Amino acid sequence: MSDNEPENEEIRSDGAGIVAPDDETPTWSERKARKTGLSRLTYEYFERARREDQDLRTESDYVERDVLAFPTWPHETVRNLSIASFFVGMILFLSATMPPHIGNPANPSSTPAIILPDWYLYWSFGLLKLNPLNPELAILGGQKLMADRTYGVLANGVVVGFIAIVPFLNKGSARRPVEQPFWSAVGVFGVVFAMTISLLAIKNLMPMNVDLLFDLTFLLPFVFGTITYAVLKTMREGYMYNLNRRYYRLRPPK
Amino acid sequence: MADEFIKGLGILTGSGLAWLVLASWYRTSSFESTQQLIEPLSSGATEGLFNIIAVTLMDVFLWFALLGALTFWVLIPAGHQIMSALEERRNAQ
Repeated sequence: MSDNEPENEEIRSDGAGIVAPDDETPTWSERKARKTGLSRLTYEYFERARREDQDLRTESDYVERDVLAFPTWPHETVRNLSIASFFVGMILFLSATMPPHIGNPANPSSTPAIILPDWYLYWSFGLLKLNPLNPELAILGGQKLMADRTYGVLANGVVVGFIAIVPFLNKGSARRPVEQPFWSAVGVFGVVFAMTISLLAIKNLMPMNVDLLFDLTFLLPFVFGTITYAVLKTMREGYMYNLNRRYYRLRPPK
Repeated sequence: MADEFIKGLGILTGSGLAWLVLASWYRTSSFESTQQLIEPLSSGATEGLFNIIAVTLMDVFLWFALLGALTFWVLIPAGHQIMSALEERRNAQ
């Protein structure tokens, strides 16, 4: 706000002083030539939000809260509505253009050739297919200590147990992956492993060699985890990392 | 740089979606097939004007998705890098 404005002018919270009128809206080439469009837009948005917040605080019925955020209406609601509309539209579009063939009714007296759980349980189904990892012990005369299905069920316990332990090992104080490259790499490892073990679960449908698929299932997570660690460790070298870390450690006052 | 990224992503997803739909019409015998979307053309795909247009558009969309993403994510940024490097070299001399 400039100093020469009359002080008795009504405070405008509609952002009209910030947003350009339609006839002054820059063209796309002008926007691109500026090079500061996104930072400027971000500044204007936050400045407008700050101004609205300030106006709210000056109202007599304003109650001080220790929450630092944007109001649900309209900011969050409009954004969520647009996202929800997009996904609803995508569901309608796909179901209209690609209707799956509806097969014959299931025959309860025979098991189908391909049995699969819902897709979000593929990872657990894939853990049941670890037969080659079940060790054959020489002291047992080449016999397996437990059945392959028991081994698969125990593998579920190992994965769930690891996920349960992670929050105790890392308290999650980092605001960005670059602050803790190792734990980011662990996270990428987990995500990639969830995908590869899910692909192993549908190895009947995968158009590739099953042995290669099995090896890649356990190799790719380490590859991607290592790449993540290396990239993030490299990013720490510059870019005022320590300054940024101090900034992101700030917390709103309580 | 963000502009180039969203252009490439928009081309890849938008054109890829159109290719997905057409390929599911003309190159998919079953959604449980391991060759779905890349099968040979189904019978009757080249009969009638609309089928011919759709089959042609299927290839157009596929290549537009691939080449568009390649252009905006690799070629144009590489061109910018080359131009700025040449400019630096010219200024240094």
